[in-house]
Amino acid sequence: MEGVGRVAAGELANAFCFIGAGGHHAGRDFFGGYCCYNDVVIAIRQARRTGTLRRVAILDTDAHHGDGTRDLVGDDPEVLHLCICGGDYTSPDGTKLDRAAPDPWAIDMSADRAYLELVQEVFPPRATAFRPDLLIWYFGFDTHQGDYGDLGLTSEAFRGIADLMIEVAGQSCGGRLVVVLGGGSRTDLATALIPPVIARLAGVAISGENSPPQRP
Amino acid sequence: MGTDSRPAMTGIFYHSSFSRRSYLTTGRRLADFPGALDFLLRHPHVKLFECPPATDELILLAHDPALIPQVEADPL
Repeated sequence: MEGVGRVAAGELANAFCFIGAGGHHAGRDFFGGYCCYNDVVIAIRQARRTGTLRRVAILDTDAHHGDGTRDLVGDDPEVLHLCICGGDYTSPDGTKLDRAAPDPWAIDMSADRAYLELVQEVFPPRATAFRPDLLIWYFGFDTHQGDYGDLGLTSEAFRGIADLMIEVAGQSCGGRLVVVLGGGSRTDLATALIPPVIARLAGVAISGENSPPQRP
Repeated sequence: MGTDSRPAMTGIFYHSSFSRRSYLTTGRRLADFPGALDFLLRHPHVKLFECPPATDELILLAHDPALIPQVEADPL
């Protein structure tokens, strides 16, 4: 919540938010899936109270559907919510979308490439046209190989999504981007995957990796 | 760095409790933090913030009042 508030207020260029419990399975009157309260929606509403933002575009790449977030923003035309999960849906006004993640066992390309191509196809054009004040990436690493939502992804996919979100934020909302940690259970994966994402936000090069994109 | 007057600072929001017990049943997935961020925190434009507690007032911006005691009573 604090991260969204400070980025929306212009005190920070961008932010990465760790969590103790998840948020995207917490709706108005229900919770579950390791989630208690919907941190993302609370943060948006708090920032709106202070007048620092109205329109937010959310990309949810956690393995499972963000049902709690959808419950809370379903009637809010000033939130674009795109969830890469198990279904295909587009709301009548085009601001709420689900897209099925590629099945890694049914494609003839790498899982990373197929996932990134899907995100690239559906999120940037919609987010840019939506003209948000801020982007939020709900970043679950449960989709990594060997975690509980295994979609065959590797670190390449998460670095690619980070680069894409930085680029879209630069094009659509002055670079205002908040990454909120979602699901994922393994300590080794958290330690390997999270720092490179933050490095990209900060524009810090990591030895042995491609250079991060320039921040706007 | 920037094309406007906004600061080019990246914020990291974290609390030590997240490393003791994170994501409820999935153990200590963040056990290596914040140490794993040391190389980033050396940069002057990266700042670590301690997450403040969420108040009931904030929670009620999104949730029914009845949800709070349900969450508090959950064995997780």
